[in-house]
Formats: sequence, C-alpha cells, structure tokens
Amino acid sequence: MPDFGEVLRLDDLHVSVHNGAATAVRGVSLRVRPGEIVGLVGESGSGKTLTCRAVLGVLPPGCAVERGTVSFGGADVTSLSRRGWERLHGSELGAVFQDPASYLNPVLTVGGQLTEVLRVKLGLGRRAGHRRALELFEAVGLRQPEQVFHLIPAELSGGMLQRVMIAIAISCDPQLLVADEPTTALDVTIQAEVLELLRKLREERGMAVLFVSHDLAVITQLCDRIVVFYAGEIVESGPAEEITQQPRHPYTQALLRVASVGDFGRRELEVIAGQPPRVGADITGCRFAARCPAAVPECAAGPVRSVPVGDQHQARCVLAAREVVTT
Amino acid sequence: MSTEVAGSPPLLAVESVDVTLGRGWRANQVLSGVDLDVWPGEIVGLVGETGSGKTTLARTVVGLVNPRRGRIVFEGQPISALRRGARRAERRRGHVQLVFQDPLRSLDPDLTVAEIVAEGLRIRGETDRDEIRRQVTRALEQVGLDATMLERTPGQISGGQRQRVSIARALAVEPRLLICDEPVSALDASTRNHVLRLLDELRTSLGLAIVIISHDLSSLAGIADRVVVLYRGRIVEDGPVDRVFATPRHPYTALLMASAPSIRQHSVRHDRPFSVHQLRGASSGPPPAGPGGCVFADRCPFAADACAVQPPLEAVGERWSVACHRHEEWGALAQIATRQEGPAHAR
Repeated sequence: MPDFGEVLRLDDLHVSVHNGAATAVRGVSLRVRPGEIVGLVGESGSGKTLTCRAVLGVLPPGCAVERGTVSFGGADVTSLSRRGWERLHGSELGAVFQDPASYLNPVLTVGGQLTEVLRVKLGLGRRAGHRRALELFEAVGLRQPEQVFHLIPAELSGGMLQRVMIAIAISCDPQLLVADEPTTALDVTIQAEVLELLRKLREERGMAVLFVSHDLAVITQLCDRIVVFYAGEIVESGPAEEITQQPRHPYTQALLRVASVGDFGRRELEVIAGQPPRVGADITGCRFAARCPAAVPECAAGPVRSVPVGDQHQARCVLAAREVVTT
Repeated sequence: MSTEVAGSPPLLAVESVDVTLGRGWRANQVLSGVDLDVWPGEIVGLVGETGSGKTTLARTVVGLVNPRRGRIVFEGQPISALRRGARRAERRRGHVQLVFQDPLRSLDPDLTVAEIVAEGLRIRGETDRDEIRRQVTRALEQVGLDATMLERTPGQISGGQRQRVSIARALAVEPRLLICDEPVSALDASTRNHVLRLLDELRTSLGLAIVIISHDLSSLAGIADRVVVLYRGRIVEDGPVDRVFATPRHPYTALLMASAPSIRQHSVRHDRPFSVHQLRGASSGPPPAGPGGCVFADRCPFAADACAVQPPLEAVGERWSVACHRHEEWGALAQIATRQEGPAHAR
C-alpha cells in the first residue's frame, strides 16, 4: 500500500500503564487518510482511549509509549518534546472530549477562549480574532454567535459547549480531529446534530477525524472505516459497511448483536457471556477465545495474526485465517 | 407484560404534580401538571432530555422534593402529605427505592459490598446480624452475584457488577417500586443488556414495579411495557411501548426516535417514515412560544396558531394519551416533506 497521503499512522504501538507494570495497548497499527473518518470502538478498558491519547501526546501519568511509533503527516512524533507537541496541538491536531465543561475555563467567556487560541496559534489581532471567532461559531451551528461569544461556559447547554469545543478544535484548520466520546454525555437529539456537524466539517474542510466511542451504533452512523478494539488489540478493521454487513471476527459479531438496532421492536436483549480479561493480562493466543462461542483449540495455541479478509478489511481470528488459506 | 388487573388501584399515583425549585427570582417550575400511574409488575420507561424534569420527578416520588401542587399516592396513602416523623418513618420502610446512574459515585468507596447492601436494612431498624447477613446474601443472589463479592469494595469490581450491587442495595429492603435513574447509560452495550435483563427478571419474579429513566429509547423498547415522554416538565406522550414506537403521536417522540443512532446505515433505512430533518424546528429559529403555549412549540416544525395554548393530555387510544393540538395532522405533513426531501438527503 502506498504510504503517501496519510495524516496519521500508528505502527505496532504499545502503551504501558501503572509505570510499566502492564501493557494496555499491544501492537496497534492503523492509518488515517486525509478527509477520512475512522471510528475506534470497543468496551471500556479495551485501550481505545489510551491509543487516542498517545496520538495526541497527552498520555496520563504513569502511562508511556513502550514500543512502536506514532507518525503524523509522515513525521515520527513518538518522542517529540513537550514544545514540539504544543506546536502540533491546535494547529495540526484538534481534540474534543466527552466532558466539554471540564476543558473550558469557567470564568472566561467562551468567545474569549476561542480568540485566545486564534491569537496565540495564528497570530491574529484582537479585531481579526473576534471576526474569525464569530465565523467559527457560525460554522459549528451556534445561533446568534455575537451573543454566545460573551457567555461563560455555565450559561451554555452541554450541546452548545460541545459545539464551542469543536469550534476551538477546528479553529486553526487541523488536519486531524481526535474526538474521544464527544457525544456520550449528550441527549440523542443533540448527539444526532453533533454527528451531522462533524460530517459537514469533514466535507467542507477535508479534515480527517479519529472518532472514539463505545457505542457501535454511533460509530456506524458517522464513520467511513471502523476499527474494533478488544483487550488492547485491534481485532477487526475495515470499511463501515463491510464491518456491519459482514463482520468476520466473533467479537465484532457479538458487538453487533448487542448494539442498538434502532428498529424499536421488542426483542430478546442479547449479552456477550463472560468478562473481558484484566488490563495487561498475559494470554497466549486469541484474547477473546475465553468468551468466543466459536473457539477451537487452535485459538489458544499461539499469537493470532491479523489477516486480510477483504479489500482493506482485516480480522485477527484463527477461523477467518483458515478460510483465507483454503480459498 | 403488565399484570394490571382491570379496576385495581395503581401502586403509585402521581396526581397533577407541580414542582418548583428555588425561590423568588430564582424560582423555576420544573414539573407542570404531571400525572403518572404505575401498576405492580409493570416497567415504565420515562424518557426526555436533560432538564426535562425526569430526575426531579423521581426525587418527588421518593419524597426528596415536595410538590407545590398535586399529590403522590403510594398504595392508597398520600405520602406527599406526610410531614416530619411520619415522612421519615415512611421513607425508612423503603417501599420505594432509587438506583442511580453512576454506581462509582453513588456507592461509598470505603464500604464493602456487604456493608453497602446492609445499610438500608440497618436504617429500617434491623439489628439481628444473622438476619442482615441472610437478607444481604438473598439480595445479592437476586442480582446474580455470589458471596465472594461480599468483602470487596466498589473500586475492586467491574462496572456492571457495581450497578448490580446498587440494585441489590435497593432490593435488600424488599421494595414494591424501584426507580432507576439512567441505570445503564454509563455501561457498555453488553453489560447494559445484562442489567436490563436482570430488571426484567426481577419484575417477573418479585412482582416489582419499575420505572426506568433513560434517554436511550431503543433499550427501553426491549423491556418496558409503557413509555412516558417528558418535555420541559410536561408529559407530552404516554402509552404502550409497542404502539408508541410504531406510530408516535407527538412530534417530539418522533424526533427522539429519528435521532437515535442505529447500526443500520442510513442508506438502507428508508423504512423510517420521517427524516430527522423534517422533525427539527426551522433552522432560522421560530419565535419562542409565549407563556402558556405548548412547551414544544418553539422547536416544533408543525406549530400553528392553536399551539399558543398548552394542549391538554388527551386520550388517543387505550391507555394512550398525547398532548398535541395537531396529533392527527402532523404525521401526514412530515411524510409529504420527507418524500420531497428525497433519498439524496437522507444522510
């Protein structure tokens, strides 16, 4: 595969937690192309958020990239200095998180906080910054931007705050927007609007989006490509349509069975039997085997490789690999 | 399904309740004229967005908030009229129990599971240690947890187990009514279904009435018998879950449904009668409704002159009522508009 035209590339990324005592992300490789929306999905503790934080260079204390590389626009940024990351943040990389209120200063107006970014990152003057801020508020669908500009975070609803966060994240036209569960705390009606906004921004600006959620339904609505995480590994990745129509990994199949179908019909609520392994647990072979309805002795024999099962579609499963060999 | 016997009195009756929080210029009417009946063995889904008054309604039912008007009747006794000692005695009995959204924050991190589950029993006045032990084990069994959990603290168990512990805590005092405030929104899909299935089983095995507050409509579709939709402190639709979700009669219910994410791609979802765009208010922002108008009018694309007056909750079918002046017309209007919009804009 040609490696030009990649915004983000992760190669064999390992992230350790608890000061190196356990490895929570084990060998994640993925790439995001310009203008592409890639969704990371998995249960809590599957390593999707840590991956996302490694991409942003903001791993929590005690966590570190153990092995592997993060490349951004072709340049290796894995061991970038703090200064270097600061240059990337805002201008090349934008980020939105689950709880917008905790990322904004509660005593400053939201307009002032957006203008600050524009002045520091783009060197805009007071007047130009103000004008640009209003344009951005308009672009993220905030009505009456002049009034919103002078409000403090407490005066805005959750949906409006998330729009403000998105406005700040896209203010310097980043190549990649990292969105970690940005709609989880929002009402469904607002969630639908924010998802639409992200898609619109992608189309208008050609910005790539790395979107993280535990909700497969949300991911399916938004993303071009889906990456399924389980216990720190990517178990399946591929085009959204293929993943939802023809999932190849038993875990993806299970996730689809328990996800919201959205038909509002009465049906048996399905569950995935068992618990995911402890973070950093040492397991030879497939990490899902203990919960897998289709497991065979071979699953526990040794490390399972990711095999191509379709165009751009990969699955880390012994059974999928078998089919590839026989055909 | 509901085990309601024709003519039997409801377990819980909320009768035209108004609730105002704050005083003076801060006063904010959170609930207006809310009527809600819950029968034994019934699961009622209470849906609405942030600030619609769902949680306040739950707090009013358990007596943490006093209604300004109206009353709460539980098993024939008007409990909202009780004061001081009588109120405290009623609450200690624990007939109505609350289960909260985030068990990590609602469970004391320093107590063991055994202590958490026993707390309600101690408050009720139980002193016999063996009896408490027995009740705690029984409650944990009912939620599918074994005795190995007893000595752990909330930090040492998984999210789904924590939520089951908070359900066990509620069950320990043998309640008649369980009010679950967003019991599953912090959980993964599989764990969510697990907890919902547990609630469904408890309703059958213990004959519990359960009110589930949620903003996730599709999970309610799996277990609820009735759905009640709240908007800005008013009930706008109340009816049997299968019929409401098949043909919502209030535009807000339809908007909630159309906004819910689904694993089916939009391209293969033309079975949905309305597009979400036709159900959102005009983008220019219509003038807000004056005082006394329909609460949903300023977001409603179908608002007409009649909507300047708050519509009453009217029966539109068996045990099905809707508060909308145009409940007979808006569906057709939305369908026409959706067809004009065409599949090209379906995304």
